[in-house]
Amino acid sequence: MIGHNVMHRPVRTLITIIAVAVEVTLVIIVVGLTSGLLSESAKRIEGVGADIMVQPPSASVFMAFSGAPMPIRLGDKLKELDYVQDVAPVLLQFNSVNGLDIIYGIDSASFRSVSGGFVFHEGHGLKKPDDMLVDDIYAKSKKVKVGQTLRILEHDFHVVGIVEHGKGARLFVELATLQAMAGASDKASVFFIKCDRPDRTPAVMDEIRQLLPRYEIRPLKDFISLMTSSNLPGLGAFINSMIGIAVAIGFLVIFLSMYTTIIERTREIGILKSLGASKPYIVRIILSETTLLCLAGIVGGVGLSFLCRTIFLDLFPTLTILITAGWILRAAGIAIVGGLLGAAYPAWLASRRDPVEALAYE
Amino acid sequence: MANTINIFPSTETLSFAAEPVLEPILKTENLWKVYRTGQVDVPALRGVSIEIFPGEFVSIMGPSGCGKSTMLHVIGGLARPTKGRVFLDGNDLAAMSDSERTLLRRHKVGFVFQKFNLLPTLDAYHNIALAQHLHENGFDPHRFDVVANLLGLGTRLKHKPSELSGGEQQRVAIARAIISEPKIVLADEPTGNLDTKSSDNVLGILRQLNKDLGQTIVMITHNPDAAAYGNRVLHMRDGLVVDGANVH
Repeated sequence: MIGHNVMHRPVRTLITIIAVAVEVTLVIIVVGLTSGLLSESAKRIEGVGADIMVQPPSASVFMAFSGAPMPIRLGDKLKELDYVQDVAPVLLQFNSVNGLDIIYGIDSASFRSVSGGFVFHEGHGLKKPDDMLVDDIYAKSKKVKVGQTLRILEHDFHVVGIVEHGKGARLFVELATLQAMAGASDKASVFFIKCDRPDRTPAVMDEIRQLLPRYEIRPLKDFISLMTSSNLPGLGAFINSMIGIAVAIGFLVIFLSMYTTIIERTREIGILKSLGASKPYIVRIILSETTLLCLAGIVGGVGLSFLCRTIFLDLFPTLTILITAGWILRAAGIAIVGGLLGAAYPAWLASRRDPVEALAYE
Repeated sequence: MANTINIFPSTETLSFAAEPVLEPILKTENLWKVYRTGQVDVPALRGVSIEIFPGEFVSIMGPSGCGKSTMLHVIGGLARPTKGRVFLDGNDLAAMSDSERTLLRRHKVGFVFQKFNLLPTLDAYHNIALAQHLHENGFDPHRFDVVANLLGLGTRLKHKPSELSGGEQQRVAIARAIISEPKIVLADEPTGNLDTKSSDNVLGILRQLNKDLGQTIVMITHNPDAAAYGNRVLHMRDGLVVDGANVH
């Protein structure tokens, strides 16, 4: 009976399913985008290959939000510590032209020593002040080729190499050039430290804490676990807001759909009551239909999410959208709860219909 | 205090053979039903007292607005009386809660309506089976086959109401009404939407159910020819039974 009822109005059913699917997609994609961004950033920073990252006091784990207040000579002091193999100072600059990117200003030699060096797809390393390296994903998405000039931060850079992605940023320039452009001479945003043995990392961190008591000292091994929405002010609220909007969409559409359904089916409710259907039975029918619609919407929403991800990644290859089983389940739960809440009042109304009036309904 | 309803059908699973029982299956005492329209009270029933015994086929006749349908709703437990008492198989409907009357309808009453009132989304099979599914005893395929064959619905069961003629729809409605072995079938103008041939067919079926199986039937009609199918005719006027209230 439930299946027959749902199929009785195919257009309304389809619209309801689409609305639930959009709700599910909204949750999955918004969360996937934010967690994908965080996860991908974390992986890239881990991919630098250092063991420890040193940032100024109270610096955010999200490095793009950090300034450049550390004197570069701190790097020399860090290099003198026991078990430290090398220290790579990096200046970060945020670029918002043609998308959002972080530019690493690096000292080629120390960065190579700490990270193990770039894997070149094409071209060679930084040699001149205006040289720039881009990673393969950036090159593909922006159709950048070696020899091309890129105007970034009001400065013309010459792309001299395309490197394998995963070394912290997508764009790399000479440290001195970026310092000059940012007005941050002899400053660095972060020091990446390579220990001579990984098991010495805690000992080195203890030494650094003694040397720089208030500085942020983080092991890169656990960096992914630090990159969560709770560590970025406002991101959790943003995600919750988007989920709230999605739930509101599902709630309202299901409410309207079920409300019109029970108005349209007033006589049928009267028939059921004349046959001896109880109030809980009628509520159960409405809620079962809602659940069926939600389940169809969830299946559609999951499919739509993967389709959206494919389209987004095709259009914006630098994006990362992380779709996890956990969030698919949560989105499904959100859709079902929102749907059942939306159907609760119409179901209650239907169950309270007077059977004589319902049977007389035209 | 809640009434106790015997929800279990007769042990005579497929036999409706009438038994010589002295107690009426349905009895009303000074039954009133008053509707309020704005500030005005409109009495639809004004002290109806009748008795209907098991195995009777009673026709209720009267002009439009005389309270026939209201009486059917009240004695079928669809509406609560304003005053007076209704006993159906020993249960006082007037004292019952909404959910108790629901339970009583499910187990003791079968309705047949003028507009058939089949669920349009379900085919004939599921319309009939629904009544059994609602019943605590669940679906009984043997009884289903017997009833479907009795009503001549064997080849029409996979059709939805919109694909059936009026007569066929009403036969499905009758099958639905009797599938759970109700104590009484209440038919509200069952031939009101049918042509003469289909009307005769439906009335013949009702008479057959009454005569062969002993099914108690109360039928509302304002067609004297249809009323003649019953073995007793009650006449109503202005909310009162004016003739035929008692068995002679």
